[in-house]
Formats: sequence, structure tokens, C-alpha cells
Amino acid sequence: MNDIAAKLGMTGDQLEGLLAILVRNTVILIGVINVAAVMTLVERKVSAWMQYRHGPNRVGPWGLLQPLADGVKFIFKEVVIPYGANKPLYLLAPAMAAVPAMMTIAVIPFANDVVLFGKNWGPLAIADIDVGILYLLAIGSMSVYGVILAGWASNSKYSLLGGLRASAQMISYELSMILAILAVVALAGSINLKEIAALQASTGNPLDWFFFKQPLACFLLLVASFAETNRHPFDFAECEPELVAGFNTEYSAMKWAIFFIGEYSAMAVMSALSVVLFWGGWSVPFMPDAPWYLGFAAFLAKVSVYLFLFVWVRWTLPRFRFDQLMRIGWKVMLPLALLNLLATGAMLALFGPPGAP
Amino acid sequence: MVIVKRKELSLLERLYVPEIARGLSITFRKMFEKKITRQYPEEPLPKTEVTRGQPRLVVKDDGNIACVSCGLCEAACPAYAITIDGGETDRPIEREPKRFDIDMLRCILCGFCEEACPKDAIFMSDELELADYSREMLVYDMEKLKRPAAAMRKRIEYVHKINDRWRSAPRPPMLADQHGAHGHAPSASTAGSHASSPTAAAQKPHAG
Amino acid sequence: MANALFYLVAALSVIAAAGVVLFRNPISNVLSLLFAFFCLATIYLLAGFQFLAATQILVYAGAIMVLFLFVIMLLNLAPGPNAPELERVGLAMFLRRKSGVTIVIAAALLILGTSAVLGTHDTAVQAAEAMPKKGLDAITATPGSSEGLAGEMFGRYLLPFEAISMLLLATAVAVVVLAKRSRPENS
Repeated sequence: MNDIAAKLGMTGDQLEGLLAILVRNTVILIGVINVAAVMTLVERKVSAWMQYRHGPNRVGPWGLLQPLADGVKFIFKEVVIPYGANKPLYLLAPAMAAVPAMMTIAVIPFANDVVLFGKNWGPLAIADIDVGILYLLAIGSMSVYGVILAGWASNSKYSLLGGLRASAQMISYELSMILAILAVVALAGSINLKEIAALQASTGNPLDWFFFKQPLACFLLLVASFAETNRHPFDFAECEPELVAGFNTEYSAMKWAIFFIGEYSAMAVMSALSVVLFWGGWSVPFMPDAPWYLGFAAFLAKVSVYLFLFVWVRWTLPRFRFDQLMRIGWKVMLPLALLNLLATGAMLALFGPPGAP
Repeated sequence: MVIVKRKELSLLERLYVPEIARGLSITFRKMFEKKITRQYPEEPLPKTEVTRGQPRLVVKDDGNIACVSCGLCEAACPAYAITIDGGETDRPIEREPKRFDIDMLRCILCGFCEEACPKDAIFMSDELELADYSREMLVYDMEKLKRPAAAMRKRIEYVHKINDRWRSAPRPPMLADQHGAHGHAPSASTAGSHASSPTAAAQKPHAG
Repeated sequence: MANALFYLVAALSVIAAAGVVLFRNPISNVLSLLFAFFCLATIYLLAGFQFLAATQILVYAGAIMVLFLFVIMLLNLAPGPNAPELERVGLAMFLRRKSGVTIVIAAALLILGTSAVLGTHDTAVQAAEAMPKKGLDAITATPGSSEGLAGEMFGRYLLPFEAISMLLLATAVAVVVLAKRSRPENS
């Protein structure tokens, strides 16, 4: 190790650190993309079960290799660019929809400090930055461009309407989402996601999780994340009966698949964010000193529950009407989020920060 | 004019959340219930004599088909799927098809050929699967269309039963060459017996 | 490294800003502006202001530009019969009509802005030198906190800050004028 490092003009520690970063980031990114692939299967399986069906079960055992088959199909299908489309933007849009979701995963702390080969490699996150939540919200708000541009560049009325609806909806719900998150930020006194998670994990008592202090904020964030990821019951961007498929009507093959990788990655990020903010992140109940891999497993388990919830809700609820969506967003969610923030602020002012006796 | 009075929603219903929770609990419970999907290739559909699958030419027990290439099925076919070239034969029926093709890609399984056939030569089988690697392979010739009468018996009897409702005279014996095997017309077993044979008519007690 | 990155991003931001006014397609204008915002955010990051960078993207790129795009798509702006009208609006018109008041206001703004920048330049440089360590290292180090930012903005840089707000107001008024000019048949 040291010899190789010397040849590269580095010290052994530097090389080790560099390798650790490479391995960690690769693992996380590939993991997220695979979450998207697996989620397509989970979605089809769960929806089938809820409708007394089996779901895909031909490719591999229990249909486990279905995403692989789909991927091969997507890659070999023909990309059709509609007449009159704005070609550069048309090709750029899927990337702009998927990249923000991938970028936001960088600040999610998956586990506490990783101790491997007798060395502490730091927390399992690509970047442990101080403005984690702000970064996540800022980059996350970029994903709306992909949808808008896809709608506009396709030169199709269905797509345009889908894109416009999506943008209006995402702007409306982003406000309530940010306000809901702010309540937690006020409680934790930090916008560093790792610190927020550590605050809840320190004693191992599940009652320390912010869900039990901010149940309303948790619920608001859940609803807002359905809207932000364009999922049922708020999937106006792609509602089939009215808009054929909304903003992705004119897309085919891998371009189309990238939209879905983006959607599922965004779901994974929102789930992970909710887990960090409200469910203690990597905290294992009643085990304050759990090793990092247990914490990682706990984190993944919690995220899985959230992802299942996304699918579960999608196959249960009917779609809202667009005016209902706007009414809920502006007349219910926003006042509730504001009240929640106000109440949190008042409690903090009266009784001081939590944890302080 | 009809005035529809909408039900006033109670506060609980307007909150959405309890109702949503109820819906979620229903879908969750349904996840573990018995699936009703039929795993098709492994669990084939039940087939009865009513199943109207692809048309087939019935092979009598003497190894011949009853077709005299009259062309009625060809004319009846709404999809123009049947092509027949007739020719002479030494058999008592004097005419037989030299070529009998059904384009399975055109066939719509309507069963008109079965109804049109005056000689009980073509029947709808219970075969439903139709897949191959080229269009040419799906144009079935006579050899591909032949099926032994034993395999088609139920369908033949069913069609006879249905048609006999409108028949005033007794049904003439079918499958004239092989009545011995058929069971209910043993005396008319000579080859070339005619449809109007009085013996055969007497053997149809339920007709008329 | 950090310096090279700064010059690269600065050059890109200038190019993007030029694109905002030079592209004919309104959607391309908006996207150039978006890119310019990202370049600005990167510059903030290089200077160690993580909070400012995140806010820049969140507020401008994430919210305001989406509204812009929204409006542009709804209006379906195409180079139509009003386009030549728009082209005449500019310096020539500015000089020809009602020039008295506008020139005075513009001159006042220019003087105010320049004096504000000049007046605070020395202290700004000192503040910059006082900042512990800049460049890429600063991204992982303590960021310019929101508290410090507020102190600077409403304390030392109050005058430039207000000058910029006046500039924004002037822009808003100008936009109203242009928008009214483009549809003479309505008046």
C-alpha cells in the first residue's frame, strides 16, 4: 500500500482516504440506482398482490430478474424523437429529471462512523456538509426543470399540460415541505443531517425520535413528498386518463426509463430524508452503541417501510382533482405547517431546547 | 330535470385521513389473500365441447376425410382464410380436395365453415394456441389440419345436437365410412352409403 | 486549483449571462439564466459561503426561475408582429423621450452605487483577508454563517444592499414599461 502511494506521490493515509472515498461513493451511487431498479419490481409485485394477482414471476425466481430484462429491453428499444421537438432540450430533460435525485443522495447519512479494518472511516455519507438540508432542498427543487422541459420540448399538448401541472404542484408543495422540515430544524438546532440523526440516536430510546415530538410535521412531509415526487394521489404530471402519460408521453426507450429512475431515486431520497428527520436515522431501538452495520441495516429497514408506503398509497387511493390538490396544498397543508412551526417556536421559547432538563 | 342531492360529508370524512387509513388497511389485507390469476401455460383453460378453437378436418376411421371440395366453407369464410383446390378421386364420393389450406393468421375462429359444411368434414377443435416463427408456417395445409375423429367426438356430437333442433327429418348418418366404430348406426357401415339411406334414418331415434 | 476553478466559473457565468440577452428563444434565455445562477452559487461556494450558495439555488433557481418558465410557457412568446417594436425600445428611446427625470434618477443610482462600493471597498478587502482560509478547503470548513451574513448585509454593506434594491425596483418599472410598449393596440 505504502509503496504504491509513494509512487503516486502521496502518503499511505492519503491514498487510503482517496480509495475509501471512491469505494464509498461508488457503493452509494450504485446502491441508489439499484433501488430504482428494484422499486420497479416491488411496485409491480405489490400492486399485483393488492389486486389478487401474482405480478411478474417469469424472469428468474419469483420474477427477481425482471428489472434486468426491462433494462435490456429499454437499452435496445428505438429512441423516437417527435417531429417539431426542440432536440437539445428534449434530450437534456430526462437527465435534468434524474440528476438532482442522484445528487441529493450525497448528503444522506446512511450510517454512523464506519469502523472497518480497525480504522474509523467517518460516517457513511458521500458528503457530510453543514447545510445538508438546504443543499437537499435546493438541488431537489431542480428536478422540476426536467419535468417542465420534457413537457415543453416534446411539442405535444399532453406533455406541455403535464409539465405545467407538475411545476405548479411542485412549487405549491415545496413550501409546506420546507416549513414542515423547518420545525424539525428548530427543534434540533442544526441543519446538518448527520447531527440531526445523531441527536435522536444518542440514547437508543425510540421516544427520542422526532416523530414523537413532531408527528404533524412528519405527516405533512409525507404528503408533500408524495406531491414532490409526482406520485399518487398527486400524480397530475402523468395522469393517464386525461394526459395520456403527461410529460413523458413522447419519450421512449431509455429516455423514458431515465425519468423513472429519477422518480424512484427521488422517492428513495425523500424516504431517507424522512427517516433521518423523524425516525432516528441509523438509530437501532434500545441499542445506543449498536455497531455501524446494524445501524445501516436499521436505516435501510426504515427506508424500505417508507418506500413500501409510497407504493401502498399509490395502489389504494384515487387521484385528486387538480383544484382539490391546490386547495389542499395552499389551504390545508400550508396553514398547518405554519401553525406547527409557530407552536414549535413557542414551545422552544417557553421550555428551551429538548434534552435540556 | 333531475336534482342530485350530494351527501353532506361529516367532519371525519372531510378530514380524508381516517378514510384513507381505512382504504389502506383494506388493500393491505387483500395482499395476503388467494390469488385468482391463472398461470396460463402451466394451468390451461378448461376445454369443453363448446370451446370454439381452430377449424380442423376430421379424419374418419378409414383414414379419409369427408370433404368433397364443394367450396361452401370457402364461400362462407368472412376472412377469406380458406383455399380449396378440388380434384377427382376413385373413392365413391368422386371429388376430394387436392389442396385445403387455412391461413391461421386470417382465421377469426367464427365457426362459419363448420356450419356451412354439408358433409360434416370440418369442425372447430378445442385447440387454441397459435404461435410459430414465420407467417408461412401458420398457413396450415391439409396434413396439418387433419385430426382423428376420436379426438373431435365431443364437438361433433355437440354440433349435431344443436343443429338437430331445426331438423324436421331424421339426421342422416355421418361419418358414413366408419359407423361401426361410432356406435349408434351399426347397420350402415358399408362404404359409400348415402345420406338418404332409410336404415340410417331409422337409427336416429331422437331426431324430429 | 481553487483560483483556476474560480476563473473558469466566472467566465462561464459571463457567457451564460450574455446568453440570457442574446438567445432568441425565451426558453433558452431562461435556461442560460439558470446556468448563470448555478455559476454564481459555485462562486459563493468557492468563497466559503455554503449557506448563501444553497439559498441562491433554492430561491432563485428553484422557485423564481420556475415561475419565469411557467409564465413563458403559458404566454407562448414567439417573435410576432410586436418584435420590431421591442427592438426600438432601448437607448435611443431612452434618450429621446422623458429623458429628464430618467437621466437624473439613473445618474443618482450610478453615483449612489459607485460611492457605496468605493466606500466599502477597503473594508471588504480587509474582511476578505481576515477570513481564515478560502477556496476549496473552505467548503468543508465552517461556512459563512447565516448570522454573520446578516450582520454584514445589514451592517457594513447596507448602502450597496439598498442600492441593489433600488436597481431591482428600476428593473421592475422598466419591465412594466416594456410590457406596455409591446401592445400599443391596447392603449
